[in-house]
This record gives sequence, C-alpha cells and structure tokens, in this order.
Amino acid sequence: MFEWFSSIQWEYLYDFELAIDSLPFLLEGLRITMIIAFFSMIFSLILGIFLGVARMSKLWFIRWPARIYISFMRGTPLLVFIFILYYGLPVIGIEFTSAVVAGIVGVSLNFAAYSAEVVRSSIMSVPRGQWEAAASLQMNYVQTMTKIIIPQATRIALPPTFSIFMDVVKGTSLASVITVQELLYSARLVSGRTYDSMTMYITAALIYWVVCIVIGYFQNRLEKRYNRYLSDTH
Amino acid sequence: MIEVTSLKKSFEQIEVLKSIDFTVNKGEVVCLIGPSGSGKTTLLRCLNLLETPDAGTITIGNSTVSFNTILKKREIKELRQYSGMVFQGFHLFPHKTVIENLVTAPITVKKGDKATIQQKSEQLLEKVGMSEHKNKYPDALSGGQQQRAAIARALVMEPEVMLFDEPTSALDPQLVREVLKVIEGLANEGQTMVIVTHEMNFAKRIADKILFMDEGYIVEQGEGNQVITNPQQQRTKEFLSLLEED
Ligand SMILES: Nc1ncnc2c1ncn2[C@@H]1O[C@H](COP(=O)(O)OP(=O)(O)O)[C@@H](O)[C@H]1O
Ligand SMILES: [Mg+2]
Repeated sequence: MFEWFSSIQWEYLYDFELAIDSLPFLLEGLRITMIIAFFSMIFSLILGIFLGVARMSKLWFIRWPARIYISFMRGTPLLVFIFILYYGLPVIGIEFTSAVVAGIVGVSLNFAAYSAEVVRSSIMSVPRGQWEAAASLQMNYVQTMTKIIIPQATRIALPPTFSIFMDVVKGTSLASVITVQELLYSARLVSGRTYDSMTMYITAALIYWVVCIVIGYFQNRLEKRYNRYLSDTH
Repeated sequence: MIEVTSLKKSFEQIEVLKSIDFTVNKGEVVCLIGPSGSGKTTLLRCLNLLETPDAGTITIGNSTVSFNTILKKREIKELRQYSGMVFQGFHLFPHKTVIENLVTAPITVKKGDKATIQQKSEQLLEKVGMSEHKNKYPDALSGGQQQRAAIARALVMEPEVMLFDEPTSALDPQLVREVLKVIEGLANEGQTMVIVTHEMNFAKRIADKILFMDEGYIVEQGEGNQVITNPQQQRTKEFLSLLEED
C-alpha cells in the first residue's frame, strides 16, 4: 500500500498548465454539449408530458403505445439507441445530415420516457380530494387540470425533473461515439495528443460538474418558489 | 328542493345504497345520522354526482336526472350546479390563498365580473370569520379555519343546497364549535342543507328533519329532533344508545 502510494508521480496526476491551455478547446466542446443538452431537455420534457398523459388515458389504443414506448426506452441503453439511429437507420434510407441532430434526437427520445414517468407519478400524487373539490365547484376536466392539478404536480415533479436534466447533460457525452465533437470528444482528442488522460478527463469531469451545479442552483430557486405555500413544518 | 327516489348504488359486488327515498324542502335543514359504513357519504356524493348512482332519480332545484338511462355529461353539469359540497377533509387548494380558493371557481366557471366576485368572496369570508386570514395559505391555518374557508368556497357558487359530510369529524374537539356555529348561522338564514353528522346535540338543535341510515336504507325519518329524542325503530335505539356510552 505504502509502496504504491510513494510510487505515484504526483506531477503527472494533474497538469494545470495543460488544463489551462486546453480550456478554450474544451469550452468549444462544451458549447456543443450545451446545445445538445438544451434542446434535449426541452424536447424530452414536451414529449414526456404528452407521453405521461397518454400513459394515463382511459383509451387502450392511446395508453398502450405510450406504455410500450416508455418501457422500451427505459429498458435499453441510450448508447445502443444512438447507434441504431446513426448507424442503423441509414439502412432503411433515413440518414442524419448532422451527428449533432442525431444526438439531440437520440437523447430527447430516450429521456422523454423518464420525463413521462415523472409527469404521470406527480399528477397521480395530487390527492383525489383535489379533483373532487374542483368537480363539486363545477370545474371541468381542463379547468381542473390547469388551475388545480398541474400547479401542484409541478411542485412534486421539480426535483426528479432536474435530476433528469442533469442526466441529459451527462448523457450527451454518449454522442461522442457518433463523432459529435462535444466536451468528452474534445477531451479525448487532447489526451490522445498529449497522452495525459488524467488531466484531460478530470478537467472534463469538473466542467460537467460545474454545469450540474448551475442546474442545481436553478432547481433550488424554483423549489423555493413552489414551496412558498407550505408552512415551515414541512 | 331535493327529491330522491329509489336511488341505488353498488361498488362492484357491495350494494351500498339499497333504494333510498327522501325529500328536502326549500330552507330545510336535514341531518343524516347512522353508523359508520351505512352509506351516508355515498348518498351525499351521489347528490353531488361525485358518484354516479346505478338507478333511481334525483331532483335538485329545477333539474331532474334519471339514472335508469344513460347519463349525459350535460345532465351532470346541470344537476351539480344546484349543490355545494363541504368535505370531511376540507380539500382546500393548497397552492392558493384563502381568497384565491374562493374566487378561482366562479372566475373560471361562471366567467363573471372579477370585481363583483372578489367583493362577494370577501363578504363570505367576513361571514365565516375568516377575513383576517384571507391572504394566508391553507397550510398556515388550523383545521377549523380551513373548514370555515371551505364552507365559504362552496357558498360562493350560490348553491341551492349545501351538502356537508361530517364537517367536524377531522377537527380537534376545541375547533368543532367554531365550525358548527357557522353552519347554524347558515341555517338561520334559511340555507337549505343536508348534513351528515355524529354531533347529536348539534343535530337536535338545528335539524328540521332527521334521517337515520343503516346498511344502505333510510331506516327511520322524522320531523324536528324526534328521531333522536323519541326513536321508533329498534336499530335507531341501538345506534343512539351506543353513542351515549362514549
Ligand atoms: N369507492 C368505493 N369503492 C368501494 N367501496 C366503497 C367505496 N366508497 C364506499 N365504499 C363502501 O361503501 C360502504 C359505505 O361507505 P360510506 O358511504 O362511506 O359510509 P358512511 O359515510 O356512512 O360511513 C362501506 O362499506 C364502504 O367500504
Ligand atoms: Mg362517511
């Protein structure tokens, strides 16, 4: 144990100079990461809302396709799905002009399934009495949904939705395998050139971390706003 | 005002309401008593159409609905507008302040003039003694305050009949009085009401008619407080004597 410890060459562990020098290049990669992440968050959330509502439908021919879709996406690796999209679909004549677009489509379609589950479970966790109180006040389904249920479900959905957002940011790194030059891909390029994997991947990890800290900050602010109607005992 | 004939309701195999008949006249206060599980809540929920009866008819106000034929959405809407419901568990909207709890439904459903609705809501809050709390969220209120706000919220829709399902059962004993006082105030103003309650003294004071329910039937009914003071049926006597033991 001691031998191993003393044999580490600390100067190779993290090369600050290299990290600083390659930062502009990595941040260019981060820009692509953020583009994919941003659109994927929006698309997966929108699609997730539709899927989540469809999953609760009384009509089987709406409910079942949503169920199967969610089950497939949750039960298969995103990486495999991205391969199917980018390398598989050209076989049937569907080809993505840009790997970035393929990345956005892959990440969005996959995470929509997780969003759908969050949407469904948070709507279902609003107590039945809320529906009944609204009904007894003559509010119809749409009025009840928009004024009573969704505002309460949103509060419940915030933490898991932000977890998904963080997973989306990290999930975009899988786009590197289809040659998207995002953050991880950029780090790999530099490390291939300098043979300093440790420095480059730690730097990449730190950048992902900072992005997620910022997302967490927004989560906190939104949660505070949505929790203001609860007294301190909660 | 209310006329119920041959009303039946089952949940899967269990027959909860087995042919219910009764009437409530305008301005009357009817108290519904009976052991737990006898179907009181189900009957009240049927009147408000939170449950759909299997058979029979309900008339409230100017609207008659028969459940022997297929029910239309429009019929539900029409019948429901004549009654307001107060739940055992209050069910205030937690994300809205007290005053917002009152104005939301009339503004979205009736699409009336906002200033008028606001003014009327404030008057109702005054009436139930909740004016000083109007900008608080339900979570910051006691159970008694929440229930009084819930009563005002139902009243703002101007129902012909107010339905109360054990309005004080979820309350700490010291908070029961303030809620019962509000309900008595409404009775004195001539509000038609159907009240499910276990508060026998309250029922004796306030009721124009008492119905005793057991196992899905109205076993006994009588004017004033006769059902409690002078019960005729064996089952009623047993029920009342069990209550006295507490
Ligand atoms: N939604 C429901 N599904 C199945 N059974 C129900 C439902 N609601 C009530 N019941 C049953 O109906 C019976 C009467 O219940 P309820 O009307 O709540 O009685 P009460 O209010 O007099 O205590 C009970 O046996 C209860 O278990
Ligand atoms: Mg009950």
